[in-house]
This record gives sequence, C-alpha cells and structure tokens, in this order.
Amino acid sequence: MDLTLHRRAFLGKSAAGLGLVALNTLLKPALLSARAGGAVQPLHHPPRAKRVIFLYQAGGPSHLETFDPKPALAKMHGQPMPDSFTKGQQIAQLQGRPLVCFGPQYTFQRFGKSGQEVCELFPRIGGVADDLCIVRSMWTEQINHDPAHTLMNTGSIIAGRPSMGSWILYGLGAETEDLPGFVVLFSSGRGGQNQPIAARQWSAGMLPSRYQGVKFNSVGDPVLYIRNPDGVSGEIQKDSIDAINRLNRRAHEGLRDPEILTRVAQYEMAFRMQASVPELMDMSKEPARVLESYGATPGDGSFASNCLLARRLAERGVRFIQIYHRDWDHHAGVKKNIALKAEEVDRPTAALVNDLKERGMLDDTLVIWGGEFGRTPMSQGGDGRDHHIKGFTYVLAGGGIKPGMTYGATDELGYAAVENPVAVPDFHATMLHLLGIDHKRLTIKFQGLDVRLTGIAGRVVKDILA
Amino acid sequence: MDLCRVLPLIGLALLPSPWLRGEVSFNRDVRPIMSDTCFQCHGPDSSSRMAGLRLDLRDAATKPAGSGKTPIVPGDPDRSEIVQRIFATNARVMPPKHAHKDLTGVQKETIRRWVAEGAKYEEHWAYQPVRRPEPPAQGHPVDAFIQARLRREGLSAAREADRRTLLRRVALDLTGLPPTPAEVDAFEKDRAPGAYERVVDRLLASPRFAEKQAQHWLDAVRYADTAGFHGDNPIPAWPYRDYVLRAFHQNKPFDQFTREQIAGDLLGGDNLEPHVASAYNRVTRMSAEGGVQDKEYLAKYAADRVRTASNVWLGSTMGCAECHDHKFDPFTARDFYAFKAFFADIEETGLVRDRGSDAWGVKILVPDEAQKRKRSELKALVEAAREALETQTTALAERQAAWERKTLAAAESGALAWKFQRPVGARALNGTVLDIYNDEPVTSMFDSGGSLVTETKPGNGMVIASGPNPDNDIYEVEIRPGAGRWTALCIETSPDESLPALRLARGSDRVIVTGVDVLAPGAVALDFATTNSTMPPREYPALAAIDGDPSTAWGVISHSENRQPALAVRFAQPLSTTADQVITVRIRQESEFRQAAIGRFRIALSSAAATWPGTVGAEKGLPDAVLKALAKPAAERSEAEKTTVRQHFQRAAPELDAYATHLARTEATLGLFEATLPEVIVTRATEPRETRILARGNWMDDSGEIVDPAVPAFLGKLNSTGRATRLDLANWLVSPENPLTARVQVNRWWRQFFGTGLAKVLDDFGSQGEAPSHPELLDWLAAEFQDGWDMKRIIRTIVTSHAYRQSSQPSPEAQAKDPDNRLLAYQNRFRVDAENVRDIILSVSGLLEERFGGPSVRPYQPEGYLAALNFPKRAYPTSRGADLYRRGVYTHWQRTFLHPNLLTFDASSREECTVNRVNSNTPLQALVLLNDPAYVEASRVFAERAVRDGGASPGQRIDWAFHQALGRAAKADERSVLSELYRKNRARFQAQPRLARELAQAGEAPLAANLDEVEVAAMTTVTRAILNLHETITRN
Repeated sequence: MDLTLHRRAFLGKSAAGLGLVALNTLLKPALLSARAGGAVQPLHHPPRAKRVIFLYQAGGPSHLETFDPKPALAKMHGQPMPDSFTKGQQIAQLQGRPLVCFGPQYTFQRFGKSGQEVCELFPRIGGVADDLCIVRSMWTEQINHDPAHTLMNTGSIIAGRPSMGSWILYGLGAETEDLPGFVVLFSSGRGGQNQPIAARQWSAGMLPSRYQGVKFNSVGDPVLYIRNPDGVSGEIQKDSIDAINRLNRRAHEGLRDPEILTRVAQYEMAFRMQASVPELMDMSKEPARVLESYGATPGDGSFASNCLLARRLAERGVRFIQIYHRDWDHHAGVKKNIALKAEEVDRPTAALVNDLKERGMLDDTLVIWGGEFGRTPMSQGGDGRDHHIKGFTYVLAGGGIKPGMTYGATDELGYAAVENPVAVPDFHATMLHLLGIDHKRLTIKFQGLDVRLTGIAGRVVKDILA
Repeated sequence: MDLCRVLPLIGLALLPSPWLRGEVSFNRDVRPIMSDTCFQCHGPDSSSRMAGLRLDLRDAATKPAGSGKTPIVPGDPDRSEIVQRIFATNARVMPPKHAHKDLTGVQKETIRRWVAEGAKYEEHWAYQPVRRPEPPAQGHPVDAFIQARLRREGLSAAREADRRTLLRRVALDLTGLPPTPAEVDAFEKDRAPGAYERVVDRLLASPRFAEKQAQHWLDAVRYADTAGFHGDNPIPAWPYRDYVLRAFHQNKPFDQFTREQIAGDLLGGDNLEPHVASAYNRVTRMSAEGGVQDKEYLAKYAADRVRTASNVWLGSTMGCAECHDHKFDPFTARDFYAFKAFFADIEETGLVRDRGSDAWGVKILVPDEAQKRKRSELKALVEAAREALETQTTALAERQAAWERKTLAAAESGALAWKFQRPVGARALNGTVLDIYNDEPVTSMFDSGGSLVTETKPGNGMVIASGPNPDNDIYEVEIRPGAGRWTALCIETSPDESLPALRLARGSDRVIVTGVDVLAPGAVALDFATTNSTMPPREYPALAAIDGDPSTAWGVISHSENRQPALAVRFAQPLSTTADQVITVRIRQESEFRQAAIGRFRIALSSAAATWPGTVGAEKGLPDAVLKALAKPAAERSEAEKTTVRQHFQRAAPELDAYATHLARTEATLGLFEATLPEVIVTRATEPRETRILARGNWMDDSGEIVDPAVPAFLGKLNSTGRATRLDLANWLVSPENPLTARVQVNRWWRQFFGTGLAKVLDDFGSQGEAPSHPELLDWLAAEFQDGWDMKRIIRTIVTSHAYRQSSQPSPEAQAKDPDNRLLAYQNRFRVDAENVRDIILSVSGLLEERFGGPSVRPYQPEGYLAALNFPKRAYPTSRGADLYRRGVYTHWQRTFLHPNLLTFDASSREECTVNRVNSNTPLQALVLLNDPAYVEASRVFAERAVRDGGASPGQRIDWAFHQALGRAAKADERSVLSELYRKNRARFQAQPRLARELAQAGEAPLAANLDEVEVAAMTTVTRAILNLHETITRN
C-alpha cells in the first residue's frame, strides 16, 4: 500500500501550520493530479457556478454615476450635506473640508423587461440588464485603497491571508492541467489615477503558493518566464526537461521521496503551460465579429481584450479569473472621467455577458462587476468625489444569480446602504455558496485559528439567488 | 484502506500515547481537543461564552451549572454533563451540528477517559516556568532525550549520514551554500576525532552563517526595503538588515539583541548601533496614500507591533485580542492594549510622507568616526556660508527695494522670460533616436489635478527620445539662437504617460544627468547650476551636473514634486552669438543607473542677468508667488510673502550672488557627502500617546478605558516605577520570569535544522498550537539558551547531535510507526529556502559575489513586473556588475511585488511577521529554474568553467560539472542521460550557430575568451539540467 496515499487520507485538509516535511506531503494529492479536486469533497451542496469572472474596478467607481440613481441628490446639489448623514463618519481626503452635495452628473434610463435603471453612459450594460442583478447596498470598512482592496480580496486587512481566488481554487481544485487555476489580468485606464495593486491581492497567503493567482502580463511574457530563453529552441527545451525528469525519477527510485515525483509532475506541467499559454493568448482565430463586439484589439492589454481573454480562460477550465481595471479613483473631474471609463468598460462588459450566454456558459459562470468602495455624494474640489464606504454598488450575473433584479438600496442621497445592506463577508459567503461551498466550512488552521475567507462574519444573501 | 493500520498511526502522530499506554494527559491529549472544539463558546472570551460555562478552568467546569447539572464530575463520566452531551446522538449533542466541529470517536473516548481518571487539569505547558530537566542519559544531551523516547516507542535512530551528505546538509543549513568539492574531499579524508565539529565551527564563524540566519530573522521582524502600502516606495532600512547580519556574525547575546531592537534608543550612550537596531519598531508597513487618517493608521501600525513582538518573542497570537478577549488563550483585550501602550512613545504619524527630506519620519545617518568629523566640518562650512549670506542680505537691505522695482519691471517687460529654442539637430551617441518637434504636433498625456489630460500642440522645440533604450547615453542637441547675448541655458523635462519611470525617464526609477556641456563651438565655461525642484534630493544637486565629476549628477527621484523638473546652468561670462551660430548642448547620462535618460525635453536660453528655474515655464520669467508678492506694496505683504521676496532677492540680486553661490556649493558638497552615508529609519521616543482599549478594535471609539503599558497579566507583572517603557518590556522578554522567549526561539532553530519544530506550530504556543513532541528536550534547550543567550552555542549543540547527523533514509518500521517523523528516527529532507535556491545556483556556477552587507540590490527582473505599481509609475533599475550576483538576502525587498524568483519559492513578502514559510513545489518554480535569465546566465558561466577546467572530453566535463553541483560523482546512468542531452544539442547548435551564439552569450557576466560557442552552448544545456535537479535545491 502506498504510504503517501495513506497519509493523505487521514491527514485530510488541515494543511497549514505544519512543518516543512508534513506540509510537503499534504500538498501532494492536489499536485500530482490537478484535476483531483480541492479540499471540499464532496461539495457542501450542489453548486450553481463552476467558475468566477471578477471584473474588478479598482479605485472606487462612483455608484452615483453608474448604477444608483439619486434624483434627491440632484436637487440638493451645491447645498451643505446634512450633518445627520455624515456626523461621526469616516472621511478620507475630505477630512476637515466643508461637505457639499454633488448631484449625479448623468441621467439614468430604464433598460430591458426588468426595467432596471442604469446610467445613460452604459447603454450596452443596460442592454443586458435582464441578465444582471444590481446590488445597491454594498458597504465596506476600509476607506483607503490598499486596505480596502485587501479586505475585498482576502476578507481581512492583515496581510498574509489567502485571496478569494486562492480560497476557491483550494476548495474546488482546478479543472485544467495546462493553465493555472487562478489568473489575474490588468488594464490601465486613460485617466490619470491608475491604482497600484499589490501582489497581496492575489496571494495564496498561508495556503501553499500553488493556489496563488498567476498574473498574466500585457507587456513582455504573458506569464513570467514562460518563454524559452534565447538560444533554447522548443526541441532543446523538451529534451532538457526530459533529461531533468529522467534524472529526478532515477533519484526517486533510490530515495522513494514522493516530493521528487511532485517535482517531475511540475516540470511536465510547466512544459505544457509553455505550449498552452501562447495558444491562449493567440486571438488570431477569434472571428472579427467577436473582436468587434468586445471592442478588443488583440495584444493591446485593454480591459476589452482582457474580457475576451477571460472568456477564453473560462473555456479552458480556469476557475477564478480576475480582471483589474485600475482607473476609477475620481477625486476630480468625475463627469469627464466617468465618460472615459464608460468608453473603456461598457462594451466589453456587456459583450462578455452576451458571449458567455451564447456559449451556454453564463449559467455556470458567476460574473462580478465592482470595486473596493464607492464615492461620496459630496463634492471634492467642486467636480470630484472622495472615497466612500457606507454604500456602493456591485453588479452580478450568471452562475445562479437571480437575473433582472435590483437588490438593496442606499438612502435618498446615496450615502449609506439602508435597505438590505450587504457587507463584504456577505458577498464572499454568497459567492462561495454559489460555488457549492459553505463559507463556514472552508477553513484552514493558522496561528491556532480556523481561518475563513469570511472571518467571523458572512451571511449568504439568499434573496439574490436564482 | 486498512483502518487498523491507520489508527495507531493517528495515535502516534496526532494524539500520542493514550491508545498505547498510560494515563490521559490534559495538556497533551485533552486540551487540543477542547481548544479546537469547545473553547470558542466555553473558553476565556467572556463575550462569546455560552450558558455561562467555561471549560478551560477546573473550578468553573466542576461547579454545578445554572441548570443544576454539573459539567464535569471528576471520576464520574456518567454524571458529567459534558460527557453525556458529546456522546449524545440527538439535537443535544455537543459541539452542536452547526459548528461543524464533530468529535471523532477517539476524541470522545479521550475526554471520557480523562474525566474517569479524575479530570486532572494541567497548566498549559508553554506558560510553565522553564526548568532544566536532567538528560536521561550520558552523552550528547539532545540525543539522550531523543533516544530515550525512540526506545520507548521501540524505534532506533538511523545511522550517521555519509560524510558527503552530512557536509552538504550542515553547510546548507548553517550557511545556505553548498560545500565545494574540495571541502567535501577534505571532510571525507579527515578521519581524526572532532572533524565534524571543526567543520561546524568553521561554518559558524563564516559571514555566510550570519546571512543565512538573517533570512529567518528578517522574515520574523518583517524587514523590507519598501513601505508596503499603496505606492510602496523605498524606505531607508538596509542598515538595520546589516545590524542583524552583524549581530549573528558576532554572536551578539540574544538578550542584548532583543533589547537593542525593541528599545535601542533608550539604552543611552553614543553608540549608534542600538539606534540602528531600533529600526525594528519602524519597519512596519507605512502608508503615504492621500486621505489616510492619522488615528486609523497609528492604530494599524501599533497593532502590527503587538502582533509582531508577541509572535517573535512569545510565540503567541496576541493579535487575536485586538477586538475581544482571546478565544483560546488567556490573553485579554486589556492585555493587547496594555502591550500596545509600550510602543505609544514612538514618534510617528499615521500618514507618512514618501518623498522629500522628511520622508518616512524619524531617520538618522550612520557615519563612522571619520565620517562624523567630516560631516561636522562640512556642516560648519554651510552654516558659515548661510550666515555670510544673511549678514550681507541684511547689510544690503536698503537696496532690496530698488532691486524689487527693477525685477518687477523686467518681468513685466518679458525680459526675464526664458526663450525656448527650436533645435536644428539632435543625436544620441549610444543609439537612442532623438526626434525634433518644432511645428510638428506633439501629443502629451499628463496628470493635471488628478486627471489625465491629453494635449496636442506644436512641439515648439520638443526633443523626444525613442527607439533603442541603452543603459547610458549622451544626447547632443544643436540650437541656433540667432544673434544675442545669453546668460544661462535650461533643460526642461516634459512628462508623458508613455514614459515608464516618473513619466519622465525612459527606464530606471529616476532621471539622472551626470554632466552638461555647452559648446559654441568651444566649451563654454559654466559657473553655476540650479533647479526648479521644490525638494531637490541631496544626492543629486544641480551643481553636480557641472562639477566635471562623472560620478555625481543632477537628478529627479520623486514624483509630482514639479511636473516639469528642469536644470539650468549659468555661463561664467555672457555668451554672445552671431545670427547663424550653432550651439551644441551635450547632456551626459552616464550614471550607474540604467536607462535613467530623459524621455522628452526642451532647451531654453535666457538673456536676463539672473533668472532661474522655478521660473522656467513661468510666463514672465518669475515664479508666480514672487511676482504676486512683488506686485504688492511692501507694507501690504504678508510675512510669507516677505520671506518669498527676500529669498528671491538672495538668489537673484547680483550683489548677493557670490554669497548665494557659495552657500549652494557648500550645501551641494554636504549633500553629496551625506548621500554616501547609510541612512535608516529609527525609533525616537516622545511623549507617549494615550492608549485606550478599543471596543471591537474600533479606532473611532474613544470611550474605552485608558491603559498603561503592561505585560500580559497571566504572565506576570513588571516591577517598574512609573510608566513602564519599551526597555522594561525588552528586559522582561529575556528575563527568567518569561517562560516563552527561550522556548520559542530554540524551537524555531529546531525547525531550521529538522524541518519541523519540536512544537510544530511555530507561531502559536497557545492551546491551539501543539504540545511539543519532546517537552523535556525543548525545556533543556531553552534553559541552556537562557544561560547566557549564546545563539551559536545552541545551534552548535543542535547540529552536533546524532539526531541531526543521522541519515534521512527511514527504516520501514520508523516510516510505518511515525510517518511524520516527529520522533526523529531519521533526518528529514526538504527543499532549501527561496534565497538559498538562488545562492546555490550562483555559488555552483561561480558567479556568486560574497560581499557582506551593504545596500540592497536588484537582480534581473522581468520587464513590466512593476507595471501595476503607481505613485510614481515605476521602472526597475536593474543593478550592474557584481551586484547582479549577490545572495538572495540582499535582494531589494519590494513588499507588494517581491522579486518573482523569491516569491515563487515561497519567500515571505514581509508585509507581516512570518516565522513558518510554506514550502511548496509548483510548475512556476520549474519555469523560474528553467527560464529566469539569471539562471540561464549561471548555467552558461558554469558551462564555461566546465569547458575550461573540467577536462578535455565532454564526458569529463559533464562529470566535473555534476561533481561541482552535487558534491558527488555522477552514476553511470546519470552520466549517460546528460551525455545524450549534450550530444543531441551539440548537433543542433552546430546546425544552428545563431542559437549557439545566443545561449553562449546569455547574461551580462563577461564571456570567457577563446571558447567555442557551440561547445559552451551544448555544455550549457547540461549545466542547466544539473542546476534544475531536485537534488540541487534539496537539503538531504
């Protein structure tokens, strides 16, 4: 009987907090066969979604110019923000400044059979309104970008916790052996405030780094070190990996150390990735019609190209795909900047939803659109909005989400989520629920705690489940 | 699966002994179960306690509850409510179903037996005083404990590892580097007694030992080279890293090491070293993000210090008590805030500036004695120059009014304005393409008040660099100003979104101009230079651009100090030009930084007697503030305006010129000198801030009680008079009253040398951790350590034991009975740490640069890796020469984007205290080892050595390389795999010499002369395969 299997069987899932030796062995099952599945076996309940595409709008999109119409705020434009809203609340760059209402800069329209209201700048997203669930009552706890991203991605502001993509990959395992199971893509906007996004946001934290997100780059090699070195042809690379693996296998014959076989498997996967990544990135076979629907020019690293890439990644079995658009921090010039963002995201967001739908993938793909917080109903500098945590909007589609509904609400000025507020851990719990995971049971031991994505909170928002 | 076989294994690994023999022990057997499954609701945290029941204290657990039932009746499980409830099969079962904490049959039975045997509680092992147990036998004390236990379990230790394996193991463990083949040979031959001990002593004395130890310590104290939040800009911290290196190298007693780091600033005396050590408190993550609220971030930094210190020294998770009493351990929320109060005297702000002279708060220069003297001399010169200028300014005060009138008139007439030139020629000597845009439109994207603005207008003299981006270049721009008389020339940079560094430079993270020449056509003498920067970095004074010294330069290193940084140089004599005369402006950009060349710029001339940048771009040739103040009658000016005018008078009045120039020169000299001195953020004590208990950790809640510094109440009390200080804390941490520090530290060393701690959970010695496998040995080592705090002695003790020296090949019995090898019937085998993967490869290849200490270095990194950083936009200034080949411990530690070859091998980002890196095995690691240019270069250099030194035939060379890397001869079948690879690739390279050339020239290390490229390339594929072997990066 194979002892390594033995150990896996009874040591089960408690991976973290162990020493080097034990940990290595624990990792083996997942490593030896990426398809073998994750830590949650069987799933806690039947899943509605198999994968997630998170269109992360970093910087903090204004809910007031996207998905949360506030006519009352328009009427209050230029007047002092009533103290009853803001007293004792956290403020970022508006600290010590007078707080003046700043009306929505654009009007909203009703779209689709569902009649959901979306800002006029986003007609294509409006065009898929009947597929969307607009959650207008998100709130968070962190008012500065870096900690707010960390909270949104890892459920904690302490560095070193696994990101949601890592949790999901750990819980569900991968569906592909040729690509990483968790991929992160970036695009910059044509505004001036592209946000720095730390690698912490896709880190595996205390989970093994196998569960870490792999960042695909728009310049240089798409995946770090994926290209053969200069002077090393494909056949040289293949023979080299063969030789390495033959020598490693030979070492295993003597030592019977399963870690060596894992190393062999990893070299094999690396070699497969060297073939599958270029194939993935090569969009030459995408019909012009598809490219046009996204507004994508292959290789430009735009949000549009990344949305198309996300669909290709999803097709190939990648579990969690996170696309950052980094340019939503509109302390100044909201009016102009939102229009620019609309140009960058309206078309590809809608195209992705439609494309997934056409391919029958929307049913089991959860699409998420949102950032780390929203923006103040108060003006900053006369034409901008500051960071805002008490109420903002997330948009969800597919993967078991009830389509064509608006959920929750902020108060009449768009300040605080007052109806069905959804906290960050609630969002996490709901996402995990759709994937077949009970958020309270996806845990690992770390520093004596059963660490969860949802910390000690989290409530599944059942009202938005289809 | 054979369950009968599995169960005893569980018993041994996770739940020792009760199923084999003897009495159930509360600490060993019961506490772990209760902690994990009961204490959440029935433990120390009063706020989440259910039914008023507390099971962690015997008195509480054996008293009848409100229901009348008694939770635990010692000796009578049938009357004990908890036993009834855990065995219940209905809804009354405990833990309740919804907790998902179902007990196993073994666990239930353990608790039942423990109650039956009298429910004997024990104090938690880690909180009991360290006593020194007598080793159970003669001989090496470590082995006495280990072997006694093995004998009890019917196991025996493995034989000693063979000498080659042993030497490789101890060298990798102690120094992070493999032994050389010569060292292996010498050790194999040295059969005299004490040969191994002599090797250990040699390794312990090596600076390489300190570098290896520092790796671990720096993870724990979360040392890094950048701030960690948001823009993640560089912080001056490396002298602290060097302090840690020296401490290990000199074997500083651990108690002193502790005191200096936590309270070095409070120790008194002239010695700077403890101050440098106090950077420990300051290398928290820091935020310079606009909109940060001071109070919130002060709370974050303070909480970091509690988490870090409690983890590093106490092995405890005090961070859990920030929002509520600890769920499992006796730390209360009050303990957390009282501990935090120790650090309330640290001078700092929540929002930290990341640029300018006051960046990162309190910091010091670290000069040696000679440097100290020189610095005071230079400072005295600056002071004298400033005084002379002030005196002269006062003496000339009556002339100021006339100067003001004249200046205002000149400004208004346009006479002061710079005249931008339309170049007639532009070229670069190293390949950069320079294009001139006069009437041609230029589109620029730049930030304006937080929005990106796109502007298209005629270039009006703009020179734009494109094409090849060499490390250094010299631009030559020709202008034809027409007839005139000129006093000064200006180079004005221009930002664009396309430029990767500060949006100004073509690469690097800065703009650097090492020299400016003006040729008309003969060299025009320049006598002064200045810049419009509002915070000129001291290492890059404008005057350095005309000092004739190529090692000094004018430069720009921080973002948004001025959108268009400019350098102006003054002609010693006014320069008269004829109508067609061409002036060549040569801009030298030859610094040690790669690609720090300007991306876009214009050149302007002035004919005013004194007009300076700050004025560049200003329409009238005067800064707006000066112009505005001058326009007002003197009597109506505010104090600030008066100062503005006076300062401009000092800079621009001809009568003061000699004094102002002299002051600028002395300041530049001082600045350049100071820039050569190490600088480091340090702790400085100030009036302690009020520390309140924050309900639920909410920093906005000011209603909590104010607390004074105190150590956790259950661990004791300080005897300080008055408010306890950080020094009191440090003294307590290393006092015999504290049972944790020594245990925690020796346990972490144990993990370094065996792969697992004696207590497995390195960062939690609380009830959720795991009791040590060998409690007496842990205590013996702790006691031994407390006796003098001699770090090297403890390490020597551990690595000279047989337990350490034994083979890592398990016997079938040992493997069957103890699959996790907690009893150490054999050594363990594991991959080396991230830094050491790099170290091994560089060392084996012959590239390793063994310099001890110094500023952090930047090895090759993939292009675009920092593209998701901003504020400022960042390019990566790759190091040059020997700095490319330094050990991993010296790599620039960018917290938000750690160098990928470290991150991929599980190095900690050091955003948070880390004492237990995971050790994973991933495909990305394979890609790094195969394709990272650093490792391809190492393979190439290694191959060159094989060709040169390895013998005449390919077979000999392969053997030589194999032996170099692994310290052993290749077996016949190994040799044949590599020979086959060599033969096939050699044929390929012969057929495709271009490939051979590319591979044989990999990297920047100089090429060996006179070697056949095909041979080097073919051998490179062999050395690359060897450097990729699991064995190469494994410590066996």
